[in-house]
Amino acid sequence: MRAQPAQKIWRVSMRKAKKYWEITKTYMKTQLVWRADVIFNMIFTITRILFAYLLWGIIFQGKEMVGAFTFHGMLSYYIVSSFLSQLEMSGGISSEIHDRIRNGTFSKYMVIPAGIELYFMAMELGVVLFYLAFDLIAAVVWIFIFRIQFVFAAEWSVVVCAVVMAVLGMVFMVQLNYYLGLLTLKYQGIGTFLMIKNNLVSLIAGSIVPLALFPETVIRIMRLLPFYYVTYLPSMLLTGMCRDEALRGIAVIGCWCVIIQLVIWITQKKYFRTYDGVGI
Amino acid sequence: MKQIKHNITKNWRVLRELFYLRFHGLAVFRLDFFAPFFVDGSLFLIQLLAFGVVYSNVETIGSWGRGEMILYIGTFSLLNAVNMTIYFFGVIRIPHKIRSGELDLYLSKPVSPLFRLTFENISPGSIPLILMSVCIIAYGASELESELTFARLAACLFWIALMEILYYEMEVMIRSISLYTVSMARMEQLEEAGIDLCMKLPGIAFYGVYKVIFYLLLPYGIMATLPVQSMIGEMTPQTAAYGIGVVSLFSAITCAMWKCGLKHYNSASS
Repeated sequence: MRAQPAQKIWRVSMRKAKKYWEITKTYMKTQLVWRADVIFNMIFTITRILFAYLLWGIIFQGKEMVGAFTFHGMLSYYIVSSFLSQLEMSGGISSEIHDRIRNGTFSKYMVIPAGIELYFMAMELGVVLFYLAFDLIAAVVWIFIFRIQFVFAAEWSVVVCAVVMAVLGMVFMVQLNYYLGLLTLKYQGIGTFLMIKNNLVSLIAGSIVPLALFPETVIRIMRLLPFYYVTYLPSMLLTGMCRDEALRGIAVIGCWCVIIQLVIWITQKKYFRTYDGVGI
Repeated sequence: MKQIKHNITKNWRVLRELFYLRFHGLAVFRLDFFAPFFVDGSLFLIQLLAFGVVYSNVETIGSWGRGEMILYIGTFSLLNAVNMTIYFFGVIRIPHKIRSGELDLYLSKPVSPLFRLTFENISPGSIPLILMSVCIIAYGASELESELTFARLAACLFWIALMEILYYEMEVMIRSISLYTVSMARMEQLEEAGIDLCMKLPGIAFYGVYKVIFYLLLPYGIMATLPVQSMIGEMTPQTAAYGIGVVSLFSAITCAMWKCGLKHYNSASS
């Protein structure tokens, strides 16, 4: 009996998924080696919450509202935003590609029987899944320590939209960092640019101050950019705000994922052949 | 007196040679020359933008208005700029040199190891960062509602110099731990977290246990706060005495930790 085409595609897809799941599991296990890092990363998430608690504590003295935020609404935003930012650890991908291209060891990823980009996605998934529970515990602990009356979205549909958006946001960040890493093939040294990018992303992703406090024109421009949907909008949705932007947000970040994937394919096609494996 | 003069002349000659060597190294890696300026410059400009947004929604943060906050960001940027230009890239290599045993080469030379470690990696590419910080401070001063006198400006410069010493001592002290332990990565993480928090948050926001932590145990909270307070006339004699006391205390601790640490150092073979 010959297998039907659909069944065959299904089997091949499952085999591929199994292969990448093995990579994910390997990276989950690898995190166990760095147990101390996990604990200290959890502890140091306090700095963002402490910053928000002290800064907004002094600002809210004698005030009920700042922008559309109450004091506890603002702290809830920072808790969720900090949790999501902590999970987004794809920055290491661009540095890894950058360093390996420069020292000529990027060939490691070219010879393994897996797609390079999917390999990094599977790797990121393994790390995120491992940290998920720990970061959640840290967030809950800070809520109790700082006695925050946590504000959470009431509608489950909004929560689902926020989770989907956050996942798409993480996929986009992996794609972006993979693409930036590949640019080393053309520009040789992009380390400085990567550090500036990290500084900039922390502002336009709403990690320092919520984007809702920016002037309306700036917010309109930000809505066109993907970073608005990586941590800011999911955090706002999970704290019960900006509900009307949920579906549009998923569509916009989805489009950005497709666009950057096309750019990656073009870049890979153009520059992979220039890699000579001897370093720069 | 003659001995002091001899030491100064010798150290000056060493400093000049280290400067030439560093320039030679930087000329090889030209792409990275202005990297610290672009990276840290963008960091402080983003902070200015972020606080600009906060101040578009509120009048004051505590007793500080927009001008005071710009001054604070500019002062922290200046402290960081001087740090990056003169000693940062030298001091951060101390743990590596201890672990690899390279410190032997420094101990065997006829010049203070800490002097050479401090000045051997100066970064001229960070000098524009100093100019940028001065511009931010000038902008902050122009936004102030109170009058800026020469005495206040001189007081501010004095406190900036003193806080720069404290910044240096904190960096050396934290890295001196490598002389006693195998790894001090956590301490560097703690330092990074403390600086990251205090560069965004002025000392006036701290109270209770937070004030004890960031005014005494990890005194990053006073570094830019005291110079700004002296410039805007908010500094009391008690605060001034406290600031001088903290710098003296950390000078003593850093000196003791470094000297005792060198006695613990057993080279790479240990």
